[in-house]
Amino acid sequence: MKNLYLPITVDHIARVEGKGGVEIIVGDDGVKEVKLNIIEGPRFFEAITVGKKLDEALAVYPRICSFCSAAHKLTAVEAAEKAIGFEVREEIQALREVLYIGDMIESHALHLYLLVLPDYMGYSNPLKMLDKYKKEINIALDLKNLGSWMMDELGARAIHQENVVMGGFGKLPDKTTLEKMKKRLQEALPLAEYTFELFSKLEQYEEVEGPIIHMAVRPRGDVYGIYGDAISVSDGFEFPSEDYKKHMVERVVEHSFAKHSFYNGEKPFMTGAISRVVNHADKLYGRAKELYESHKDLLRPTNPFANNLAQALELVYFMERGIDLIDEALAKWPIRPRDEVAVKDGFGVSTTEAPRGILVYALEVKDGRIAYADIITPTAFNLAMMEVHVRMMAEKHYNDDPERLKYLTEMVVRAYDPCISCSVHVVRL
Amino acid sequence: MERKVRIGFYALTSCYGCQLQFAMMDEILQLLPNAEIVCWYMLDRDSSEDEPVDIAFIEGSVSTEEEIELLKKIRENAKIVVAVGSCAVQGGVQSWEKDKSLEELWKIVYGDGKVKFEPKKAKPVEEYIKVDYKLYGCPPEKKDFIYAIGTFLVGSWPEDVDYPVCLECRLKGNPCILIEKGEPCLGPITRAGCDARCPSYGIACIGCRGAIGYDVAWFDSLARTFKEKGLTKEEILERMKIFNAHNPKLEEMVDKVFQEVKE
Repeated sequence: MKNLYLPITVDHIARVEGKGGVEIIVGDDGVKEVKLNIIEGPRFFEAITVGKKLDEALAVYPRICSFCSAAHKLTAVEAAEKAIGFEVREEIQALREVLYIGDMIESHALHLYLLVLPDYMGYSNPLKMLDKYKKEINIALDLKNLGSWMMDELGARAIHQENVVMGGFGKLPDKTTLEKMKKRLQEALPLAEYTFELFSKLEQYEEVEGPIIHMAVRPRGDVYGIYGDAISVSDGFEFPSEDYKKHMVERVVEHSFAKHSFYNGEKPFMTGAISRVVNHADKLYGRAKELYESHKDLLRPTNPFANNLAQALELVYFMERGIDLIDEALAKWPIRPRDEVAVKDGFGVSTTEAPRGILVYALEVKDGRIAYADIITPTAFNLAMMEVHVRMMAEKHYNDDPERLKYLTEMVVRAYDPCISCSVHVVRL
Repeated sequence: MERKVRIGFYALTSCYGCQLQFAMMDEILQLLPNAEIVCWYMLDRDSSEDEPVDIAFIEGSVSTEEEIELLKKIRENAKIVVAVGSCAVQGGVQSWEKDKSLEELWKIVYGDGKVKFEPKKAKPVEEYIKVDYKLYGCPPEKKDFIYAIGTFLVGSWPEDVDYPVCLECRLKGNPCILIEKGEPCLGPITRAGCDARCPSYGIACIGCRGAIGYDVAWFDSLARTFKEKGLTKEEILERMKIFNAHNPKLEEMVDKVFQEVKE
């Protein structure tokens, strides 16, 4: 008689953004099926914004996600500006990147300390770590306070930044505030280095070791960063952002309100901090460059857990980068916050590196309104690859105590830092 | 010692921004000695949606059949239910196209693709269960959380805000975006409490805290002003519906203004 196996499920993965679950179906010959169920309800962002006025649609897009609302806002605004044929001045671009860096710092700090670290330290909840790991929790709070303060100053608030508009900003902080921002970034650098040290000591599970295709935005000006107009693949291929649909092909899968993406229609791929490091480490500079050189073996392309350490590396990098960008802007002081934009018809694609990886916005503007919108988020790109890694983990541990298996597979998912709300904002076919 | 207050934070369909705002408050550390977090999936792996709680915070709009079941369970288990943020209170920006059918929206986004869960049109929490208190905003301000929890902890009840963003904007001495710059600012009909955050940056209010309650949101009066500035009825409704699509008064009051002219 055949044995009966109940599926092993985590209905609601904790300590990630959004609502998703894992389902592992085990049979006589091992793991039969692994599914990441994305059960967050659909929100139809593209459908609700088509036909709407450009500025109103741009106010709504960041609501796709709170953990990276600045990323959504800045990418959407750039896509709109490209569509109408407008380019912001260099100093405005520099300050937008500083805002984006605020998002990176907050998001990485939150993910590393509050979502990932409790697994390694044996806690269910970061707040319970307070007695024994007060220093770590305080660093987490200091870093997130820095990131959210930067977004407050440049974006009007830390979640859903209304201050970013086509043509520039509604209002800019004064010079003293920007100088203070620079100082606070300098002061926070040791905290970022401490974070890197801490995460360099954490286990990267060998169960999920194997080749991974990485994709990342090729940064403008050959400096490691956020904005770019082409996508690089770790197999050496590169394509202009406009061609994303050709090489990052989406499919609807029945266990998820989020679609899955495949490289050239067949291969799962990864995007995120580790993918940026794998594809563009040669464009790092400063202290982050040194740390990369001395920890290359840990920042390897073959393990999704390396994403945690790559985020820690980026905390160091983006602080130094933020300081340089503020200097760039200050050199042009006083800065006019906003230029008039003439809204024309057109189509624009913006690709940026959100904290969790490649974010794509393609917008068509007609008569001042959105005529077409396509948004693809890093988590949606990552889902197919994530399932592969969860499966690898499950295949090694399906005979273990189910609690252990659940714990290990959740850790794999968390290493990707998924943003599930983001992934079900959903996209046109 | 008195028993700790049991708190649950539950998420329906949303961006998780309200929880993030709550989690990002340093003050949460001061709350911990007095409170026990029973359910909060965003931060705690040992969460349970089946445990009784004193205060249930609910973020997100109701957008799947499963979420309706969850809501009923939360209501049964909670003494105080707080709807948090524009999704839970007003149905969120995902309600902007309230009048389009689910089938139409589904087709635009998923084509002929099928998933095994049951989606629904987004609705506010109050359409399904009784809500005891609301925190407005997209996201609510940190002080909104502190005020509500602080008040509950001392055994009292928080007041509702019943005046518009304009009041706070005037107190801050901002130039008027509506009158002086001619932009369609929703400050006059939108619930205050944000300290006129966006107008203070020179950005017209989009109404994220929702229309003022007690039937004093003068959609008609503002619509008349917008109309004088050249906006069509459709444009006015579109803007007011970003966060107020489920408001029962909105269309009727805007309609009134456009009927006036014909007479």
